[in-house]
Amino acid sequence: MIRLEGLVKTRSQGDSVFELRVPAFEVAPGSMVAVIGESGCGKSTLLDILALVMAPSSVDRFEIAAHSHAPPADAAALWAGGDEGALAALRREFFGYVLQTGGLLPFLSVRRNIELPGSISGGVPAGRIDALARAMGLEGCLDRMPSSLSIGQRQRAAILRALAHGPHLVLADEPTAAVDKARARAIMDDMHRLAREESAAVVVVTHDTDLVMELADAAYTFDLEAVSPGMTRSVCRPVQGRVK
Amino acid sequence: MSGQGSPLRQIPLLAAAHLRHEWVLTLCLVIALAAVISPLLVLLGLKHGTIQTLRERLVEDPVFREIRPTQTREFAPEWFDGLAAWPGVGFLTPTILPLSSVITVVLPQDSGTALFDLIPTAPGDPLILENGGAVPGDGEVVLTTEAARLAGAKPGEEIAVRVTRSRGGRSEAVEARLKVAAVLEPRAGSLARVYAPLPFVLDVEGYKEGYAAPGRGWPGETPQPYPSFDGAVLLLPEPLQPIVRSGLIINTGFGRIADAKPGRVRELLGFEPPEGFAAYELLAPGSPVTASSLRAIEAKLRGYSRALLPYAEGVVLQAGERELRPVGLSIGAEEAAMLGLAQPPWPAFSGRIPKGEGLVDCLWPVGADGNGTSVDVRAPGVKALDFLLRPVGTTTFERPVVPVELLGVLRTAAQRGVTFDRRTLTFQMARGGYRGFRLYAKSIDDVPGIYHRLREQGVEVAAEVEAIERIRVLDNGLSRLFWLIAALGLCGGTGVLVASLYAAVERRRRDLGVLRLLGFARRHVFFFPVAQGFIIAVLGLGAGFGGYAALAGVINRTFAMDLAPGEAFCVLPEAYVPLFCLSTVALAGLASLVAAWRATCIDPAEVIREQ
Repeated sequence: MIRLEGLVKTRSQGDSVFELRVPAFEVAPGSMVAVIGESGCGKSTLLDILALVMAPSSVDRFEIAAHSHAPPADAAALWAGGDEGALAALRREFFGYVLQTGGLLPFLSVRRNIELPGSISGGVPAGRIDALARAMGLEGCLDRMPSSLSIGQRQRAAILRALAHGPHLVLADEPTAAVDKARARAIMDDMHRLAREESAAVVVVTHDTDLVMELADAAYTFDLEAVSPGMTRSVCRPVQGRVK
Repeated sequence: MSGQGSPLRQIPLLAAAHLRHEWVLTLCLVIALAAVISPLLVLLGLKHGTIQTLRERLVEDPVFREIRPTQTREFAPEWFDGLAAWPGVGFLTPTILPLSSVITVVLPQDSGTALFDLIPTAPGDPLILENGGAVPGDGEVVLTTEAARLAGAKPGEEIAVRVTRSRGGRSEAVEARLKVAAVLEPRAGSLARVYAPLPFVLDVEGYKEGYAAPGRGWPGETPQPYPSFDGAVLLLPEPLQPIVRSGLIINTGFGRIADAKPGRVRELLGFEPPEGFAAYELLAPGSPVTASSLRAIEAKLRGYSRALLPYAEGVVLQAGERELRPVGLSIGAEEAAMLGLAQPPWPAFSGRIPKGEGLVDCLWPVGADGNGTSVDVRAPGVKALDFLLRPVGTTTFERPVVPVELLGVLRTAAQRGVTFDRRTLTFQMARGGYRGFRLYAKSIDDVPGIYHRLREQGVEVAAEVEAIERIRVLDNGLSRLFWLIAALGLCGGTGVLVASLYAAVERRRRDLGVLRLLGFARRHVFFFPVAQGFIIAVLGLGAGFGGYAALAGVINRTFAMDLAPGEAFCVLPEAYVPLFCLSTVALAGLASLVAAWRATCIDPAEVIREQ
């Protein structure tokens, strides 16, 4: 699904420099990959790079494919060529997103929010949204505005939006950070279950190891090291041993 | 690549949804825009409506299209042909001397007569046509309201008119009955006036000058050309005493007397004076010699045996290829005997043109060709004058001999138009110029141009140019004012739009970032503010036109009492409406560009985690 090798991303803020290194990162089709780490370790940076909204400083290999046999799209080359339109097209085509606080557009109803990714890519079959909404426990919320929903409902709606147009990969950035533990577990389970049913791969970024370790097929974490007083380096590595 | 869905098509929907979501802000923005648009439209409507009303009031009344001569001078008929072809000239007719432009109308019930102005007219006369009249035909007249009141005449009735003249101390008059074709509305003028076809007016003028109008049965003279000469030769058997000789140039119209050599006399008269005769040449430098000057000389020389022979020098006639240089000689038997010449078969010179056709008689040189038959000749002049010479005998002179009156007439023809009537074999004065004109421009906008062009030609004219130019100046002033205010309003409106759209982008950074994340490219989100600009412009236009309609209605109702039906103070020129809408929308598009550029600069990675 996604194959990433030799990624380096350098970000500087004032005098301090932060360097993220990802020697190898892979997401298999239909699998769930957890990216675990404390804040500031670069897990959001990694997610933005995966989401094609942040350019890598350098990368040896960055390929995206619908499944293992399909010819992969070369994201590294698209970045190098500055083909923003093609990157946006890849985003429409392959990905769904769940942001920390949902990221629903406040000026659209929940239904329109969920329909939006489909309306700019392949479209969503009629009735699918209602069916998914029932599965997510959102039947009564579709025609309300996001602001009238509870935070948990908003996250569920965001997960629906990420899945409704049938993406190959859902990128979820701390999707449960804003709700309590019990709700977080329920939301995470629902997302996992739906993704399975839809055979969509999931990359979920979280600082809460317990929440995802049981569900994830693979996990990555970061090793932070201070190279010099002004420079921090974070290296991404797979979590050893059997996750599930 | 992506399927059927087009991100670009979603942008206007999203932009509209956003505006609807923030409807209070949107409403404020639309009101702000309408607050700029409405007053501009009202101003434009007021300017246009006022100017149009003023113009229409002018346009309606032909008086404002009239250009009148302010001096009486002579205008040649050809001048009228040229003037009629000027661009913008709607109607033109010559007029006659103002003094002759009167006609006596016999009033009803024996209440005597009254003198009315007589004005020539012709088909297309706007003064008549636009004041409820019909252009009169022959034998018809059109009256002004006042004339109709005084004459007690209604359309369809007849009035009796009288044309009077005084000739030789006697008063003469002719009468005519004319049908009243129409009575004009009071607007056409408060004076008692009679409008008649130009030929009738010309006949009236001719009659007053003593001429006949045969077509109407009015008696009088035909306009005969008068003879004029370059000088006269005086032949006497004895030389004159110096004192008598000098007396001939005192109070006679002649200015100079000189001895004439025989060769000179031969050149002028075709013969040499008999031996021993004294020959003098009388001259009036700078002016033509007329019959009265000759009579004055005859009076001074009473008792002398003499011959006074006027001459016109250098008259050359074209007879086909030949050039004729005729000699003019009209002498009586006594003079002929004295000079040893044969008396020509026509009367001696009397100072007047002989009646009838005798003027074209001529004596042909013995042995010359063309003897016996009439010869067509052409004399140069103001206009080439074609006539014929009728040989009635022969002469021993080397040149044809004609009555000297003919040469006098031909000399006159060199300065004024003379025509020859082949039927009666007589000469007539051609009509001279006209003494004025009635001129109407096609539209009031043509008036200033014609007015200034005539003045450049040296024709003193008057027109309501000031009224027309006042409106033009007012129009220009108001236009300038409008554009100034419009520029201010546009700046304000554009500023409001730029600021609001930019602020909306800043407020919605995160949402725009999310859109990018969902798969919208930079070039897609570029159109988000642009679409909003257009939507607001259209809503603002709608509200603006609504506001205008309400205000214009109030204004027009308020001033309704001062306006004629159909007039309005506040009217939008139709052509301006699409222009106004287009420019507003275009300006809104321009105003959104800053915000659009700002939207493309948003980096989703930076904004999607903002709260």
